[in-house]
Amino acid sequence: MKKIKWAILTFAILFSIGSAFATRPHNFGTLYYWTGTTYMPVGTLGVNYVCESSTQVCTYTYSNGVYTPFNTSSTYTPIGATTPATKPASKSEK
Amino acid sequence: MSKKQVALECVCALLILLFLYASVSKFLAFKTFIDQMNNQPLPNSWTPFLVWAIPLLEVAISISLLFEYTRLIGLYASLFIMVLFSAYTGIVLLHFFPYIPCSCGGVIQKLTWLQHLILNLFYVALSILGIILTTRKFINPIQITTKHSLV
Repeated sequence: MKKIKWAILTFAILFSIGSAFATRPHNFGTLYYWTGTTYMPVGTLGVNYVCESSTQVCTYTYSNGVYTPFNTSSTYTPIGATTPATKPASKSEK
Repeated sequence: MSKKQVALECVCALLILLFLYASVSKFLAFKTFIDQMNNQPLPNSWTPFLVWAIPLLEVAISISLLFEYTRLIGLYASLFIMVLFSAYTGIVLLHFFPYIPCSCGGVIQKLTWLQHLILNLFYVALSILGIILTTRKFINPIQITTKHSLV
């Protein structure tokens, strides 16, 4: 009887703690880009760039309430240092 | 183990699942939780107290539900806190506040306020069921027979 009780309760404890860890918000912090010799910070997630699920452009810069696609994952450019080569399609703020 | 006992263990397990998940989620994203609490239509001076009191109370309820000795206290505490949360959710839904704050706590924050209310009411019902099952379990059938025979 006690075995069944503790089996149920142990499952509840493990499942709840495991679920909490599995669904915790991920803090990606600063995104870096490779200059060829060193890594430089691009921006801070949620502050001046966001990363959206996409097969092509992931990173969007955020300025004056507008999200702008910002290069691909392999060719990040520091925000404010260089403008994207092609004119980006603006995406209004969520 | 009777069906009632299994049902009681399942009720307690579901309550532990909710409270432990909610508290661990809050501790894992504590800074976010503080921000969310500041966003609630409650005085911000309450925040330093509430950000510790709510998750610690949830952990305390979870622990009390584990042991038969403290289970009834835990069930009453969970009923009290779920009624409180339901009332708060109801007040939000009735637009008593100037704005609708976020609903916090891990994946639960993805629920709408109406879904949140339904979930809270479900857990209110579970707490009541748990109290009924626990109190019935403690009543000794021999005592009932004796009482009836005296009358």
